[in-house]
Amino acid sequence: MKTIHIFDPALCCSTGVCGTEVDQALVNAAADLDWARQQGARIERYNLAQQPLAFAGNAVVKAFLERSGQDALPLVLVDGEMALAGRYPTRAELARWAGISALPVQAVGSDCCSGGKCC
Amino acid sequence: MDFLEQPPRFLFFTGKGGVGKTSLACATAVRLADSGRRVLLVSTDPASNVGQVFDTQIGNRLVTIDAVPGLTALEIDPEAAAGAYRERIVGPVRGVLPEDVVRGIEEQLSGACTTEIAAFDEFTGLLTDDALIAGFDHIVFDTAPTGHTIRLLQLPGAWSGFLESNDNGASCLGPLAGLEKQRQQYRAAVAALADPLRTRLVLVARAQASTLREVARTHDELAAIGLQRQYLVINGVLPAAEAAGDALAAAIVAREARALAALPGAVAALPRTQVPLKPFNLVGLPALRALLDDNAGALSTTPAAPANAPGALPALATLVDELATAGHGLVMLMGKGGVGKTTLAAAVAVELARRGLPVHLTTSDPAAHLTETLEGSLQQLTVSRIDPHAETERYRAEVLTTKGKDLDAHGRALLEEDLRSPCTEEIAVFQAFSRIIREAGRKFVVMDTAPTGHTLLLLDATGAYHREMARHMDKSGITHYTTPMMQLQDPAQTRVLIVTLAETTPVLEAARLQDDLRRAGIEPWAWVINNSLAAASPTSPLLMRRAAAEWAQIDAVRNLHAQRLALVPLQAEEPVGIARLQALAAGQRHS
Repeated sequence: MKTIHIFDPALCCSTGVCGTEVDQALVNAAADLDWARQQGARIERYNLAQQPLAFAGNAVVKAFLERSGQDALPLVLVDGEMALAGRYPTRAELARWAGISALPVQAVGSDCCSGGKCC
Repeated sequence: MDFLEQPPRFLFFTGKGGVGKTSLACATAVRLADSGRRVLLVSTDPASNVGQVFDTQIGNRLVTIDAVPGLTALEIDPEAAAGAYRERIVGPVRGVLPEDVVRGIEEQLSGACTTEIAAFDEFTGLLTDDALIAGFDHIVFDTAPTGHTIRLLQLPGAWSGFLESNDNGASCLGPLAGLEKQRQQYRAAVAALADPLRTRLVLVARAQASTLREVARTHDELAAIGLQRQYLVINGVLPAAEAAGDALAAAIVAREARALAALPGAVAALPRTQVPLKPFNLVGLPALRALLDDNAGALSTTPAAPANAPGALPALATLVDELATAGHGLVMLMGKGGVGKTTLAAAVAVELARRGLPVHLTTSDPAAHLTETLEGSLQQLTVSRIDPHAETERYRAEVLTTKGKDLDAHGRALLEEDLRSPCTEEIAVFQAFSRIIREAGRKFVVMDTAPTGHTLLLLDATGAYHREMARHMDKSGITHYTTPMMQLQDPAQTRVLIVTLAETTPVLEAARLQDDLRRAGIEPWAWVINNSLAAASPTSPLLMRRAAAEWAQIDAVRNLHAQRLALVPLQAEEPVGIARLQALAAGQRHS
């Protein structure tokens, strides 16, 4: 099983609910990552504000920060290799990296998408 | 002195600011040390004045008080603790990661949550670190103002449970995430607090209805989290003998007796001690030793020189005349808890409304009794309260219905869990504050703010918000915007009234608050000295001595600190209701 490492920008917390405005992308990312974990994926998250040593101690991440700056975060490594930067992964991407085969059918029966036609 | 009988190892003094818990904690520590015990006195108040009381520089380290053998003191300064915590995280990567990255981390760790948590961490250490406290028989805590204390004491319970139930490690512990390994320590702190053999909680109050109601609330909240063994001290009770021949003294004696007779049931049942009002200020060692000595008051029977007339010092209504000319704006009353900000905010609001101006009176004080003070209503006057619990619930619901609307059940549960973090309340309250002050462009918004430490944290949050907002605005190309901080710093939009009492420590604290505000770019517009005996011209010997002692402080405020000054006399009746608030603003002592 591959390990997914996510290097977050400086956050108060992983969903961003502690910020002055809650970032939708962070809320979704927290839910998606939690979903992937439930499917057995190995995921570790590092917060620049709380674990800066993890950034400094990884040559790929350190070089990325020096080259592109912290605004280019988050950075996603899969087994140590750069896989994605600048946004959080989708469920499909997480599933591919982690080798999760059975993607659940997206939100069938929810209010938004009833009748099999998505809005 | 029930609360001094067979004291356990940990003694906590808690109560609204200004009731004298610092004096009582200091006097207790001195008394225990005098009886041969080794005592550590700890202040966790962000605006600690233990150093002033002993005339010794203390700070965030153990300092032996030379004048009292056996006594050591420590002030936990939340800002310094936060600084040390920040340095533990940032220090190792400074010079390793790019400089702007390091600055970004530092900014992220400069918020209110970090300060609260770092201070809490220090506090926990003291309760559980045997090596640190092994040399002391007693540890006496002069705790922070009530709302803050409750949060401080509630957190161990909340967080121990939180750490236990949280197994995915992704949740919002904020800066606490780095401390997760200290689970054991938090659990031990909770156990020590709830154990009556180790911990005694002393509730300190004055004989005033509002203070006693609040102490009852504190009692219930602390009992609910397991601190059952509580004692009550009523401080500064005016001796009945003073009532003879002085209408003001008689009114105070009667009022205090009424308040004590109406003591709420749960606190009435507690072991109780009454400490009489002393004719001297509680600064310096002789005064502290005399506080808990029943014979000390009688030692000084020399009549005081008659108090000076209040002279040309204006009443509060005079300040309101000047405020009213602007037609609208934000008026904030600031100062330590217990100096009467809530009452004065209500008086200012009533005076403005009486002049036909639209006024919104509101409070962010976690221990507010504003609506209780303002019984009745005026046209033009609306009253609201920033209730931290209600605001937090509203904020949670809002985030869940907007940001959480597309999440599946599991993702929603995760978000809900994050929204239970201790940071959420700070943010929710701050958002309510920002929302209300926007109204000040159209009408008067009069606010009493929370006690000093909290106020400063709030301002700090405003500063962080300002920076973040400015960054977003710059990115999206908007050039004209006003943030809450800009509004607070603009003297045309915001007027800050510093409220204090004519006593040594409150004046020093108010001057410190003014310095802090100036550092934040906010210039206080006026000072108000509340509950002045000098302005009330008493004739009882004890009250005359206290009135005479006020003049040094009134002069200091007038000459050294205040651009504008108003003096509000001590009221014979509690200033509840519109008629009495009006009389108070006019500078009358009787209603």
